[in-house]
Amino acid sequence: MAVLLLLLASLIPGAALAHATEGGLVLLLPTDLYIAGGTAAVALTLILVVLLPDRAALALFRPLPLLKSRGRAPALTSFLSFLALVGLVILGLIGAHNPMKNPLSLAVWSLFWVVLVLVQGLVFDFWRWIGPWRGPHALLRRPRLMCLPGWVGHWPALFSFAAFAAVLLAHPAPADPERLAAMVACYWGFHFAMTVVFGPKWLRRGEGLSVLMHAYALVAPFGKVRGRTRLGLHGWKVLARPAPPLTLALFMVALLAVGSYDGLHETFWWFAQLGWNPLEFPGRSMVVRENLAGLVAALLLLPLIYATAIAAGLALVGDLSRFGYAFCAFAPALLPIALGYHFAHYLPVLLVEGQYMLAVANDPLDTGAHLLGLDHVHVTTSFFNTHDTVRMIFIAQAGAIVIGHAIAIVLSHALAARMLGDARKAALSQAPLALFMVAYTLFGLWLLASPRGV
Amino acid sequence: MTDIKTGPANPSRRTAIKTLAGAGAAAASLPLWARYTHAQTAEPIRIGFQMHATGIGSAYGRWYDRTTQAAARLINEAGGINGRPVEIITEDDGTDPKRGAEVVEKFANQHKCDIAYGTLFSHVVIGSAPRAGELKLPYFVVSEGHHVASGMLNRWTVQPGITDVKSQVKSMAPFVAENLGKKVTMIFPDYAFGHDHRDFFSEAIAEQGGEVIAKLAIPPSETSFTKYFAKIPRETEVIYHVMVGPAVLTFVKEMGEFFGPSRPQIFGFIDSLEAVDLASPGLEFLEGTYFWEGMPRYAQPDQTEFDKHYREAIGIDENGASVNDPKDVSTYAHMFGCWETLYVIKAGMEAAGYAGPQDRQKLIEAVEAMTEWPESNEHPQGPKLFNGKTHQVFGPQYISVVENSRLKVVQTAAMETGFYPDEVDYTTQSF
Repeated sequence: MAVLLLLLASLIPGAALAHATEGGLVLLLPTDLYIAGGTAAVALTLILVVLLPDRAALALFRPLPLLKSRGRAPALTSFLSFLALVGLVILGLIGAHNPMKNPLSLAVWSLFWVVLVLVQGLVFDFWRWIGPWRGPHALLRRPRLMCLPGWVGHWPALFSFAAFAAVLLAHPAPADPERLAAMVACYWGFHFAMTVVFGPKWLRRGEGLSVLMHAYALVAPFGKVRGRTRLGLHGWKVLARPAPPLTLALFMVALLAVGSYDGLHETFWWFAQLGWNPLEFPGRSMVVRENLAGLVAALLLLPLIYATAIAAGLALVGDLSRFGYAFCAFAPALLPIALGYHFAHYLPVLLVEGQYMLAVANDPLDTGAHLLGLDHVHVTTSFFNTHDTVRMIFIAQAGAIVIGHAIAIVLSHALAARMLGDARKAALSQAPLALFMVAYTLFGLWLLASPRGV
Repeated sequence: MTDIKTGPANPSRRTAIKTLAGAGAAAASLPLWARYTHAQTAEPIRIGFQMHATGIGSAYGRWYDRTTQAAARLINEAGGINGRPVEIITEDDGTDPKRGAEVVEKFANQHKCDIAYGTLFSHVVIGSAPRAGELKLPYFVVSEGHHVASGMLNRWTVQPGITDVKSQVKSMAPFVAENLGKKVTMIFPDYAFGHDHRDFFSEAIAEQGGEVIAKLAIPPSETSFTKYFAKIPRETEVIYHVMVGPAVLTFVKEMGEFFGPSRPQIFGFIDSLEAVDLASPGLEFLEGTYFWEGMPRYAQPDQTEFDKHYREAIGIDENGASVNDPKDVSTYAHMFGCWETLYVIKAGMEAAGYAGPQDRQKLIEAVEAMTEWPESNEHPQGPKLFNGKTHQVFGPQYISVVENSRLKVVQTAAMETGFYPDEVDYTTQSF
């Protein structure tokens, strides 16, 4: 844990968008050493977890009780959020055509997909207040028309998240305000209709982004259990709750798969596999099929690898019969890894697009307003230009990946200890999954250090 | 990280919107209004700016945008074009040729733009120009590619604000042969961009009595270069390099480590290090080496008042970085092309008496008829000669040496050194 704390202390906010200088400076950093150090830190965490008594791992996830908290989030905030979404869609249609200046494009790809997802996993469940379906649905005051059959599981959510990921990774112009407005309106409309038919349960099992947000909220430090807001290490709620059902577990693995492919598909290595020149990227419209194929491959491969690691671990302790349960129980332990990737991958984006968001907040209708009192915001990317800032950005990114993996290892060990009730068995059953996580740390850090062509 | 500029900073779109607002209110709030009243219509001239806002060109796109907005603001402050305000309508092409063509179509059909303008990346230009031709939409590109003058595009596509790579490379050869050496080894990325340099320079240096004795083509995905340096012939007097991409800094660092203090002369194109701070680690080795610059990034002792005016309008300091953030280095060697192109569009529209889309052909003909522009606030990079047949402009090129991590101009290559025989006559093509 000391290693973790040291790494935490070294986290400094800073970071970057695809930019030649940044990439160039990263190549000059001693990234081999950082990769070795980061992987060693995760491996060390593994050793510590095995050596220390299980109750130590479990104790780490015991939350501190804070305030008593009220019941459900009010539908009013959700309704206001819906109104904001309507406003954004209109601005997508009539506002600036430049996605870096359009409130909708920035709200979807920077505010929601970067900031809110991180808030959700790093702080608390904000989405329950602002998910834009519950409020309007409550206003209808209509009972559901049909019961969502149990066998459907979380499959609709998985498919709707896959569709979102396909737009993110493969659509030729995901940020184009007009097309985005249409996509957002259709997405909202479809899921609202389904919520009307199946009731709010649809939002917990059918709407991909709400399921994603709730999944990440599982690893947020703040949370509510038994009428109290509590604060604990990322993942404490995973231990406080029963194992997720199979399709939700698959969804969690899919989160990591999408995040990993998001990083991979920009690397020179990936370009080389497809025979493209990384210095002359032909544009997203030319690679739609390849990106879709890569996404599908990631969505199929990672669950297979994960399942193999789980099965191998159970085989080691002669308990393969519990594979189904274990597959579900350990899947939430992948969430800190996915969140670490998300932070690392989008930190540079946030640093640049955060400035664009500030500019748009200052003048949302492009009328020359100065709502924040700023006369004009000049977006800068100079932090990609200097050795020190690029190093800080890289360390923050690498730190997030290492911490995410370290927490995942401790969490999965605690889950194993709880499931098997025997320290030796728990350690043995965890060996393949832990190795997978150490290897994944290496992969994640390699992604960060790789030259990128997009 | 976020910079706040004081003083007026009104992108032209904003001005235009205000200008179009109710006459009384606008007259009260906008003194500029009075300047437009003599025009037959206060309808703005709509310039569709095809911007690389996302994708691999976004670092350039940001500066192309800043330059464009600054020039448009000045044009509007000076009364617009033909008494009408200029409105810049920006669309992101994602640095993607297919989207480029879509954007051109949007400009013509949806936004009712008068012209399209501002594209940098060659593949986007090549992907968009045919559509501009079909739509009969004047398409003013700022890409420095040779594709315009080579004849592969069409009569509607013009490059009047930035010189092309063929003339840039050609005009470097006399300096290299006279001052650095005649036996040259070229190191270039192994794809079209590098091949252009290889072919143009090999021919040009031969004309100067020099010779390219080795051509080292580096695979584009390469990130380690030492093994290639071993192939540089011993008798090499000059290394000519045009590496681009994230591995450039590594390339320079390894070249420095390979040669140590006894190195041949080194000549490169600033494209490799555009927007990169020359004080970056690993670049120390570039001290004393030479670069082509489209326009000198660092204000020189003999800085013209035009360069001063240009920097001030965009907000660039004497080191070529943003005045709001001295570490935010601009794409100074290229972005003047946006500024100069907008002023050519203005001059062209004025010469053509441009009143609306029905005059698009007249605009192209008026620009084709233009021949020269003196160095001025409108053309701060230097005087220009325009070849109406090839739709390509010619101008001076700058050769600078790295001294104390700054670039000092040592020679300005006259534009004549970049001339080459016409490869096309667009004026013979029908509209």
